[in-house]
Amino acid sequence: MTSEAALLPAGVGWTLLAAFSVLWIGLGIYWGRRNKSFEDHALAGRNIGLALGSATAAATWITSNTTMLAPQFALQLGIWGMLAYSTAAIGLLLFAPMAGRIRKLMPNGYTSGDFFRLRYGRVAWAVFLLFTLFYSLTWLVSMAMAGGILLNTLSGIPYAWGMSVILGVCVLYTMRGGLAAVIGTDFIQSLIIIVGIVVVGVAVLSHVPVEKIHANLAAERPALLDVLFPAAIMAIFNNLLFGLGEVFHNNVWWSRAFAFREGVAGKAFALGGLIWFPIPLAAGFVALASGALNVPVPAADMVGPLVVAEVLGEAGAIGIFIIVFCSLASSIDSLLAATADLMTEDVYRRMFRPAAHPETLKKIAQWVTLGLGLFTWAVCLPRIGTLATVLFFAGPLVGAMIWPIVTGLYWRRANTTGAVGGMLLGAGIGLFFYFAIGFYVASLIATAVSMIWVLACSALSKTRFDWALLREAE
Amino acid sequence: MTFSTQFLSALVYGSLAWCAVTALGLGTLLIRDIVRGEIW
Repeated sequence: MTSEAALLPAGVGWTLLAAFSVLWIGLGIYWGRRNKSFEDHALAGRNIGLALGSATAAATWITSNTTMLAPQFALQLGIWGMLAYSTAAIGLLLFAPMAGRIRKLMPNGYTSGDFFRLRYGRVAWAVFLLFTLFYSLTWLVSMAMAGGILLNTLSGIPYAWGMSVILGVCVLYTMRGGLAAVIGTDFIQSLIIIVGIVVVGVAVLSHVPVEKIHANLAAERPALLDVLFPAAIMAIFNNLLFGLGEVFHNNVWWSRAFAFREGVAGKAFALGGLIWFPIPLAAGFVALASGALNVPVPAADMVGPLVVAEVLGEAGAIGIFIIVFCSLASSIDSLLAATADLMTEDVYRRMFRPAAHPETLKKIAQWVTLGLGLFTWAVCLPRIGTLATVLFFAGPLVGAMIWPIVTGLYWRRANTTGAVGGMLLGAGIGLFFYFAIGFYVASLIATAVSMIWVLACSALSKTRFDWALLREAE
Repeated sequence: MTFSTQFLSALVYGSLAWCAVTALGLGTLLIRDIVRGEIW
């Protein structure tokens, strides 16, 4: 993309990038000054309150996909598309009671890996680590790549520079400030995103009323208003299951459950889900206005910024740039922190250095964060294109972990055979159908196979798990 | 069968109002946590 074709002059893009980079790094250093041990660094001292807790649950789930892909969903799948995207909030809402239970059962826990190791043993733990690291690294790379592409499209900043800056900034403040910096910046980022979306939405409505948008759709693209739009209804199931699997297994969410103050985790995730739910609708409807506003849309994934730039001019383009930058940062920092914690706690500490000093672990976590950043940067640099296919490939792995986690948290009779078999069989059969039929059935089949195996093994099991085993001493 | 204008209006205005309320709610919660010394 040349700077002439971008929505913003490159100079404005660089200025915004510099200003927000300085702000996030400064806050990361400031908030990280009190971190002395691994517990401070990885879990912010296990004392996060409701305001920061709710905001971070919502902000982490607001990725660049939420702000960019929701309009695309609306443009391609209509009203059902927006509603389908919003169902991802159900993952946060259903995780709310689980988070409270996780905090209660594992007061000294650090990661979702700790749960698998203590609940199901080392084989299940190894399978889980393999699946979750593959998924997390893919998500991280796709976010960094999206950052470079979006900054290039919005402001003409060269891809390699945009990707490097956004990744570098997130690595720096996550290294210095740990989870406290991630959660603190998440609060500011979530407010910027929500207020920005409201301002943009009101501006669009002041230019074209809903009645005119509806009339234009009815005349030009009636399928988008169809109550029985099959592809869109399929998207609901796909999004719902993907959201459930992602939230239930990933350390991004478990680390927050461990970090929230006692009694806060359940409320914070429930509020986070309620905060997130309307965002795809509010961000997505602007795409439906493109026809009524006569905005040409050469690429569906750019419909949101194009409509906003048409309505609000350069101010709108600046707003979108800031919203996208905040959305990317709020997800990249969380993934960096949670994946670094997983590698430090589950790989370094539990496999190689069980007696490592808390200060040493903190330093290791910081170095792992830097290593993850460098790895991601090296993978992203050649701009191999979209990683959406690889993310969809991870769908069956994610879906196959839902039942071992849910039953493992609530049923004493859930056992290792069920967990290991459920993950391997579900993922294997799901991947077979991924290639045989398509991505849109893979997660569903993986989840169903895993469910049948886990439930059967639990029903036949004579063992009863002792919950006290999850209260591992530090 | 298609979604009506009223449904689309409710969805659009409802989601924008919901977002505005959550932004205000988050700000209020933060102030409450600061006053109680429970921010983190």
